Amino acid sequence: MAGQSDPHISLFSAQEVEFMAEDELIEIVPNMRMDSLNFICGDFGPFLPQIATEVPLWLAIALKKRGKCTIRPPQWMSIENLTRILEGERDSQGAFQALPFHYVEISTLLFDHARDDIPDMYMVRSLVEDIRDVRVHKVETSLEKFSGTSAVKIPNLSAMEVNIIRPFVGRALQAFYKHDNPEKIPDVDRASSGQTRVPNNEPREDMSEGGKIVPWMIIYSKNIQLDQASKVIFLLYSGL
Amino acid sequence: MANYYNIDDILTEEEFVPVVFHKAANGVLIDPSSETNSVEQGAKVELPLWLAQELCLRQAVSISAPACFNQKTRLEIQADAACVDLRSRSPYFYEFGCKIAPLVGDKTVEVLLLSAFKIRYKEILTKAYTAAHTSTLKFLTLLTKEETNLYEAAQSSMAAFKKWRKGGPRLQRASVLGRKRKPIE
Repeated sequence: MAGQSDPHISLFSAQEVEFMAEDELIEIVPNMRMDSLNFICGDFGPFLPQIATEVPLWLAIALKKRGKCTIRPPQWMSIENLTRILEGERDSQGAFQALPFHYVEISTLLFDHARDDIPDMYMVRSLVEDIRDVRVHKVETSLEKFSGTSAVKIPNLSAMEVNIIRPFVGRALQAFYKHDNPEKIPDVDRASSGQTRVPNNEPREDMSEGGKIVPWMIIYSKNIQLDQASKVIFLLYSGL
Repeated sequence: MANYYNIDDILTEEEFVPVVFHKAANGVLIDPSSETNSVEQGAKVELPLWLAQELCLRQAVSISAPACFNQKTRLEIQADAACVDLRSRSPYFYEFGCKIAPLVGDKTVEVLLLSAFKIRYKEILTKAYTAAHTSTLKFLTLLTKEETNLYEAAQSSMAAFKKWRKGGPRLQRASVLGRKRKPIE
């Protein structure tokens, strides 16, 4: 499970993030008739032919593999939307466009299993890849900018991207905090729109004793599929 | 204490610092080439940090700044922090500096460490996520233990992600079952 092989790296493996992504709801069009399924996570069905239903992604993939449904790609995966998002990513230097939290995993799963259900699959695939590249590059540049802080806020980052940078940034923040100990950091205002600095209010006199304050990295993201803007807060603990 | 069992911390304290003895000490074999088993007052010896710290508390020695923080290093770091070979000076450069600073009473060390770390951190960042292996081998030998940890963390998470992207079977056959077994007669 998370970080078990190496106790110092607090990392979910990619498969685990994918596992969590499979809980997202997606629309399918079944081609058979089935009674409703009652799971712990909820009740789905009854399934009637050609009536669209919302099911979790793992169930959709399982039904698709057995040839019992076709998957309807989610709204955000249309070519126009992705092109618009790509333009937005390329234009704005600091901020990230609002994308579903698990867009990487969802798109990968759909490309692997539901290839024929997506119109213009190659186009969509290349767009998603481009978006991912631009975002990774942006994350790197914004990481370069911060230094001497102990909390970083990056809105609209997706789960897989967070997972990739988590061990690195956790360790880096910890190291920065350790070295920044005795002196006060001057309050430098950063112009980039995607980041804010949280001012350090903790007392700093004697950090050599116990009481190691763990630097936090708080990443906010908005899941646009839910109606209310629910913020998912990931607290990254740099391993003690 | 979180650091008592930490191997890196223990190894950090193994680094040598120059000390000057205030009192004579008998029955100690610090300098292998000296004939007697004692150290006179005012002698300059190199001791590991854990020992020097204890003796300093008892007012038996006074610690001066170790060689890795001397002027030459500072100038090098100011010139170009990214290319300075910190590992040859000490693989625990940053932690060592943090521990030494309160003992020696030198305020400039932390500023130095911080600025050096900031610059090198940027380098590590760019190289960790993008580069191929061959070009970074030389750079890796310059890093202290701490920085190497950072680098490897980034590398491993990136590699894991790429492996996942490539796809492959979601269920893997256990390696124990892979071998052909002879039927037992």
